[in-house]
Amino acid sequence: MWIIIILIILLISLAAAAFLWLRPATGERAEIWVDGELVRSVDLSKIQEPERFTVETDRGVNVILAEPGRIRVESADCPDKVCVDAGWLSDSAAPIVCLPHRLVIRLSGDASLDTEVG
Amino acid sequence: MRRAFALALAVIALSGCAPRAQSSTVFAMDTVMELTAYGPRQAVDGAVSLIHEAEDRLSVTAEDSDIARVNGSGGGEVDGDTASLLKRALELCKLTDGALDITVYPLVRAWGFTTGAYRVPGEEEIGSLLEKVDYSAVTLEGNTVTLPEGALLDLGAVAKGWVSDRIAAGFREAGVRSGLINLGGNVMALGKKPDGSDWSVGIRDPFSEGLLGAVSVRDSAVVTSGGYQRYFEENGVRYCHIIDPRTGRPADSGLASVTVVGAEGVLCDGLSTAVYVMGLEAASQLWRENSGFELVLVTDGGEVLVTEGLEDVFKPMDVYKDGEIRVIRRD
Repeated sequence: MWIIIILIILLISLAAAAFLWLRPATGERAEIWVDGELVRSVDLSKIQEPERFTVETDRGVNVILAEPGRIRVESADCPDKVCVDAGWLSDSAAPIVCLPHRLVIRLSGDASLDTEVG
Repeated sequence: MRRAFALALAVIALSGCAPRAQSSTVFAMDTVMELTAYGPRQAVDGAVSLIHEAEDRLSVTAEDSDIARVNGSGGGEVDGDTASLLKRALELCKLTDGALDITVYPLVRAWGFTTGAYRVPGEEEIGSLLEKVDYSAVTLEGNTVTLPEGALLDLGAVAKGWVSDRIAAGFREAGVRSGLINLGGNVMALGKKPDGSDWSVGIRDPFSEGLLGAVSVRDSAVVTSGGYQRYFEENGVRYCHIIDPRTGRPADSGLASVTVVGAEGVLCDGLSTAVYVMGLEAASQLWRENSGFELVLVTDGGEVLVTEGLEDVFKPMDVYKDGEIRVIRRD
């Protein structure tokens, strides 16, 4: 009796663990945050054609370009253009940041790094 | 049978039950900050208020901060927190023999790094401004600061590290055993990750968009300074934002990037600037004569060096993966 319960629990646990370990590597979902709020999430693996959209706030406008597997700020009316110069977002630990507009674009999902300095 | 039961328990214990991650993004101190705590929401909310309070008190540009008031009137009384940071900052200036100097602000301003209106000041201007630079002439008695005529304080080289210490302390008080604080490149890793492994902190390559490597840490700050982070160019010469307090000019010590790893955030923050200014030889000596921190150094020539405490936890990446890593040892 007990052995069956234990085996069932074990099987469920192993299935859950296998699901967590074997799911495809993520990092293909880009999140767009403004002032600490998630405003949009884009699944980069599902994009077929280049997709352009704007994120508009009281502080200004960023035009974002998403292509299959990658994303960037194409243009912005911020003074420093650091977000545009950052180019394609490639690294899950180092987001694209537009400080003047308080906008952050980052890849979500697992990555070998937890954060980054420098 | 008993082994199967133990295994089932272990799998259950590993597959859940960790507190949920609470995160916040904060725009403050001219940078973007990311806070994550595995614990109560209040811990993160408390940290956000702490950051804003610290910015209000410590900003050199905000008009009514403690620092701006002291700079405007040559001294005065400051908040107890500001005084304790100032005390620690002055100790670090002394420890580094002035390679970190919290009175270098007149020169930082003259080069345009506070406003973005970059310029190369003339010899005479640099010479006369240098006369105002001397941390040892700053006095702190209780909460009262006195500055010599014309001197200006700037705690920018230590403030974020200090705030990361305060946030970590607040997290611990709130019962958070695992958390990650990244104040615009000033990282503080609290405890271990919820899965029990160490935090992996990537370090940027000073010469490209890629990575230099990563350090695995727990209960530790990781702070990087490098000339590549902010600079301007004029007539083909690159001028970086870290001013050598002894020459009044952008630091040119032969190092491209300095990462300091240790338990105390404010120490790591202050030392990252100081070590960048002092260069490889003086930095190695400072490390041998003191404890509480470890270093990852990249020279202008692309050579990578780590102090021996990081030998096993630093993992080179990208173009450095198969390159040589020199280890700096105590003896």
